[in-house]
Amino acid sequence: MMSYWPWWAGAIALGTITFGYWWSVGRTVGVSGAWDRVLNWSAERESERINASFDASAFEAALAAATADEFGDTLVATESGSDDPPVDSMPTAAPSTPLPVSSQAILLGSMFVGGLIAAVVNGRFELRADMGEAFADIVVDGWLMWPTLLLGGIAVGFGTRMSGGCSSGHGLSGCGRLQPASILATAVFFGTAVGMSFLVWKVI
Amino acid sequence: MTATATNTENRNRTIMWVGFWGVSFGFTLGMIGFGDFGELNAMFTFQSWRMFLAFAGGVVIAAAAFFTIGRDKLGPRQPIHKGIVPGAALFGAGWALTGGCPAIPIVQVATGYAPGLVTLVGVATGMRIFKVVNTRYLRLDPGSCGL
Repeated sequence: MMSYWPWWAGAIALGTITFGYWWSVGRTVGVSGAWDRVLNWSAERESERINASFDASAFEAALAAATADEFGDTLVATESGSDDPPVDSMPTAAPSTPLPVSSQAILLGSMFVGGLIAAVVNGRFELRADMGEAFADIVVDGWLMWPTLLLGGIAVGFGTRMSGGCSSGHGLSGCGRLQPASILATAVFFGTAVGMSFLVWKVI
Repeated sequence: MTATATNTENRNRTIMWVGFWGVSFGFTLGMIGFGDFGELNAMFTFQSWRMFLAFAGGVVIAAAAFFTIGRDKLGPRQPIHKGIVPGAALFGAGWALTGGCPAIPIVQVATGYAPGLVTLVGVATGMRIFKVVNTRYLRLDPGSCGL
């Protein structure tokens, strides 16, 4: 069984993934957001279908025609002849449309593949019906493991949606971009995790 | 080449990148040890600084890259809304109990810890409950990352 990576190797890999994802995909990596969209698959697909059928140029033409009907041709002609740069040439801070929901399913599925490769490479793969000795020693053992994992998972799902991100979205991507909301969220979830960990380790 | 063909090509390239980074992320989390409850608890109880430094170092490296290469494209500041603190507190408590943020149970299951599937069911249930509660009572706009 191989040792886990030293901290610096993990830091280089996590930093590269966080930046590389944004650089190549054009969005920040966020796993809770991916889960949320995949869980709302049918609504997301319907939204994509509507967006795909939306003809922006026909909409603009209809809008211009309606404006001309209401205010006359002068206003439209003045706007189109102004010195303002065309909208397409302006830098866009945020993408106007989300990635297809299928890409988010691929993100989650490929993470499973990556985790499986790591488990095989470092010799830790072992199919088992428990969460390991540490979980049994520190948290709970026996049948209580099941409700604990379920309730803990509910807290994770509810909490990440309520705060708008998780350890990847707020922690890596958000803190990496020095977003105050993400720095606050990360401080709170790390702090609470520290408190809860001491509670189950030393008290319960 | 038509606009439709270009869009399809861009979309396929994006999806390939998502898959590549997804495999890399899952592999990295597994090789650091984030799927190992003992390692995670050791990080949260300050018995080992290795994983904390890996996480913090990753943030520092990403920040350096963001601000040297992509400073002008980082997007607007996200607002601090009412759901951040209580939501993050719930998340932290659940992460400490299960060892799983929404990414890590995937790695736990991939390592062979089958009960991690129950954590994933819980995560999905929690997200669904939040949607109902938020629509009816809270009416927050927490936004979302990585769309």
